[in-house]
Amino acid sequence: MNRRGFLKNAAVVGAGLTLPGSCGLVFRALEASERVDLAVAQGKSPAQITKAAIDVLGGMKRFVAKGDVVVVKPNIGWDRTPDYAATTNPEVVGAIVRLCYEAGAKKVKVFDRTVSDARRCYRQSGIADAAGAAGAEVSHIDDRKFRDVRMNGLVLKSWPLYVDVLEADKVINVPIAKEHGLSRLTLGMKNWMGVMGGWRSRIHQSIDESLVDVARAVKPTLTVLDAVRILTANGPTGGSLSDVKQLNLVAVGTDQVAMDSFGATLFGFKGSDLGYVQLGAKAGLGVMDLAKLKIKKVQV
Amino acid sequence: MIKNLRRASQAVFLLIFLFLFIQTESKGYDDLGYPVRLFLDFDPLIFLTTLLASHTVPVAFYLSVILIVLTIFMGRVFCGWVCPLGTLNNMMGTLRKARPIGNRRRLYRWKYYILLFILAAALFRLHLTGVLDPLSLLIRSLSVSIYPLINYAVRSFFDTIFFWNPPVIVQGSEFIYDLFKRSVLAFEQPFFVQSAFIGLLFLIVLGLNLIERRFWCKFLCPLGALLGVLSRYALLRRSLSEGCDACGACETLCQGGAIHDGDRWDLSECLYCMNCDDLCPRNAVSFGFSAKGEPAVLDLGRRNVVIAFASGIMSVPLIRTTALSKPGYVNPRLIRPPGALEEKEFLRACIKCGECMKVCITNGLQPTLFEAGMEGIWSPVLIPRIGYCEYRCTLCGQVCPTGAIARLPLEAKQKVKIGLAMIDEGRCLPYAHATPCIVCQEACPTSPKAIWLEDASVKNREGKIIRVKRPRVDLDLCIGCGICETLCPVIGQPAIYVTNVGESRSKTNQLLLPGAAT
Repeated sequence: MNRRGFLKNAAVVGAGLTLPGSCGLVFRALEASERVDLAVAQGKSPAQITKAAIDVLGGMKRFVAKGDVVVVKPNIGWDRTPDYAATTNPEVVGAIVRLCYEAGAKKVKVFDRTVSDARRCYRQSGIADAAGAAGAEVSHIDDRKFRDVRMNGLVLKSWPLYVDVLEADKVINVPIAKEHGLSRLTLGMKNWMGVMGGWRSRIHQSIDESLVDVARAVKPTLTVLDAVRILTANGPTGGSLSDVKQLNLVAVGTDQVAMDSFGATLFGFKGSDLGYVQLGAKAGLGVMDLAKLKIKKVQV
Repeated sequence: MIKNLRRASQAVFLLIFLFLFIQTESKGYDDLGYPVRLFLDFDPLIFLTTLLASHTVPVAFYLSVILIVLTIFMGRVFCGWVCPLGTLNNMMGTLRKARPIGNRRRLYRWKYYILLFILAAALFRLHLTGVLDPLSLLIRSLSVSIYPLINYAVRSFFDTIFFWNPPVIVQGSEFIYDLFKRSVLAFEQPFFVQSAFIGLLFLIVLGLNLIERRFWCKFLCPLGALLGVLSRYALLRRSLSEGCDACGACETLCQGGAIHDGDRWDLSECLYCMNCDDLCPRNAVSFGFSAKGEPAVLDLGRRNVVIAFASGIMSVPLIRTTALSKPGYVNPRLIRPPGALEEKEFLRACIKCGECMKVCITNGLQPTLFEAGMEGIWSPVLIPRIGYCEYRCTLCGQVCPTGAIARLPLEAKQKVKIGLAMIDEGRCLPYAHATPCIVCQEACPTSPKAIWLEDASVKNREGKIIRVKRPRVDLDLCIGCGICETLCPVIGQPAIYVTNVGESRSKTNQLLLPGAAT
C-alpha cells in the first residue's frame, strides 16, 4: 500500500467511524501526511547528511526489509578521484551500504558499468574501498549477466539490462550531480546507463526518450543524489578542480523525476529545462513540479 | 642429489617468472607492484646491445653485472638453473628420447653467429636483440599469444557451463571460475593482432625440442652464446676421476650436449644440469672450483665469423632503406605509447618484449608487423579502435625495461600528445545524418575538453529542422588518447580517428605553426 492509498483509506475509515477506537488510526494518518516527498540534508560529513536525509523520509527501515538483497548503484563511470566530482562520493555510498545492513539487508551489491577502465574507476573513485569496508559485495560487471528487457518505450523496444538489478529486492540509485554536454545534466535517470549492456552510447541519438524508457524499466526504491561536490562544467568527466562546486548536500527521494527536477535547481536550472524530466513527467513516471512536493531541508 | 636441487631451482625461478608475469597487470592503482621486467634487468645481452644501440641504459640493467660475474666464475648456470625458457625447453625435451649429441655438435656455432650478427648490427645502432633474446621472446610470446590463449580456453569452458546452466554444477563451476579470475586470469580477455603468428613461432621453438633436446639453448640462443663466451675461463669445472671408462652414459643425458666422444667436455656448452654427476655408474664425475684440465674449445671458423659479422653490418642499410626512413614520410597510424622516445631513438631502445602490451589496461597497445619497418617488428602501436590510452594511466612507461617508453610522472604523461583526433564529417552522425550524438565529447578526458560542441540546425529529409551539437576538435588540447575513436558509435570505420601528426616526440611530424594561437 502506498502513501496516497493509505491516506485515502485512512480518511474514509476515519470519517466513517465515530468509535473512540478510531482515534489511533486518525492519528497515524496525520503522522503519515507529514511524511515528506523529498529530503535534503546539508552538512560537513557526507555520511552524516546521507543518514540524516534518509531519516527525514522515515529511515532506511521504511525502504529495506529484513533479508532483502539490495543493489546500491553509484556512478563509478570515470577514472577520477573523489575531489573531481566525476564519481559518486564514496562516503555517501559507504553510509548507504551500512544503513541497508542496519535495516536488515541480507546482501548489498555495489557495481557500475564504467566507461574508463573499470579497475581504475573502482579504485580511484574510492568507492570499492568505502563500499567494501561497509560490507558490500563490490563486483565488476560480468558481461554474461545482461538480460534483454522488453520496454516498448518511447524509443527503446528492448534493451539488455544487468540481471543483478532486475533480480534485486530493492534498488537504490546513488548518482552524482554533474554537467553533461547533451542532456545538460546527468543526475538520477542518466545514472541507469551504468546498468545498460550493449552499445549503450547509441542512446545519445535520442537521449531524453531513452533515459525515460530505461528509468521506467528499473524503478528504484530510493534515489540518493550526491551533491556533496557537483561538477559544473566539462562534465561528465571533469578533471579540473575549478569546475567543482562544494555544496555539502545530499537529497533523497522516491520519485525519480522529482529528484532530477530538484537536482536541476542545484545548477540554477528548472526541472523543465531537462528534456528527460519533462518527458518523464509526461509519461507518468513522476512529478516535475517541485511546488507540488513536500520538501524538507535539514542541517547537520 | 644435486640434480634435484637444480630441478627445484628451475621450478622456483619459473614460478617466480610466471608470478611476476601475471602480476604485470593493473589493479586499479597508479603504480604496479612487481613487473616481470625484473628478469630482463638481469639480462646481459640486452644490457650490452642496448648500450651499443641506444647509448643509454637504465640503471636497473646494472643488475645484469651480477649475471656476468656469476657466469665468469661458474659458467652457464643461468641456462641450466634459472632461465625460464630453458626450463620450458627442458620440460618439452623430455618428450623426446634422450640420445647423444653426435654430429649435431657442429650446429653449436649457429648461436655464436647469431650473437655476432646481433652485436654487429647493434654497433651500428640497429637493435635486433629483442627478436631472439630468450627472455624477451618468452615474455612477448606469453603476453601476446599464450596467455590470451589460456584465458580464452578457460573462459570458454566456464562460459559453456554457465550458459548450459545445469543445477548445482554451475554454482561449483562459477566458484572455481571466480578463483581463477582472482588468481591467474586476466581482468579482461586480451586480444592481439598476430597472436597466432607470434604464438606459432614460440611453439616452433618448443617443438624443436622434439628434434633435439634443448635445440634452442644449444643452437640458437644468443644469450646462451654470450654466456658461453663469458664462461670460457669459468672456474667451476667438471673433472673425471680415474674410474671413468668413457662408457658414454653421461653423453646421452647431457642437457647442453657438452659431453662427446666419451669423455670430452665443452665448458661453454655445459649448462651445469648435473645429470652426469648424478648418473655416472662409477661415480667418476665431479664438479669443483679447483678442477684442472683444459676443456675443449669450439672453433667457429674465421671465415664464418667474418661472414656473420659482415652480415650484421649489412643488415643495417638493408633494413634502414625502408620508405619510412625518407624524411617527411610517416605511417600516420603508427601511434606510439605516451613517453615513447623519438622514433629513431625508440627503435634503438625497444626490445619488443611486449610488456607494455601485456600491461596496457585497454588492450589498445598491439604488436606491429612492418608498420614501423622491419626494424620495428613487434614494437608497440596503439590501435584506438581496439583500445585507447587511459588518461590517468602510466603503466607502459613503468614496465618498459629499456626506457624506450620513458617513465613519466602522471602530470607529464597527461601533457604528452601521441597524436591528434580529426573528424570525418562524411560519417559523423550530427554532420552527415542530422542525428544527435556527442559520445566523443562526453568521454574526452582533458580539462577543458579538447572536443567541444557547436550548436547547429540541420534539415532532415522531410525538411524538418533538427538541432544538433557538432563535435569539433581543439588541436591544442587534444592529446590523441583515442578514447573518442574507441567509443565512436560508428562501428568499423570511425567518424573520429587519431593519427600521429602532432605527436610530442617528433620535431617534424607536426601540424600547427609553433606559437600560433588557434
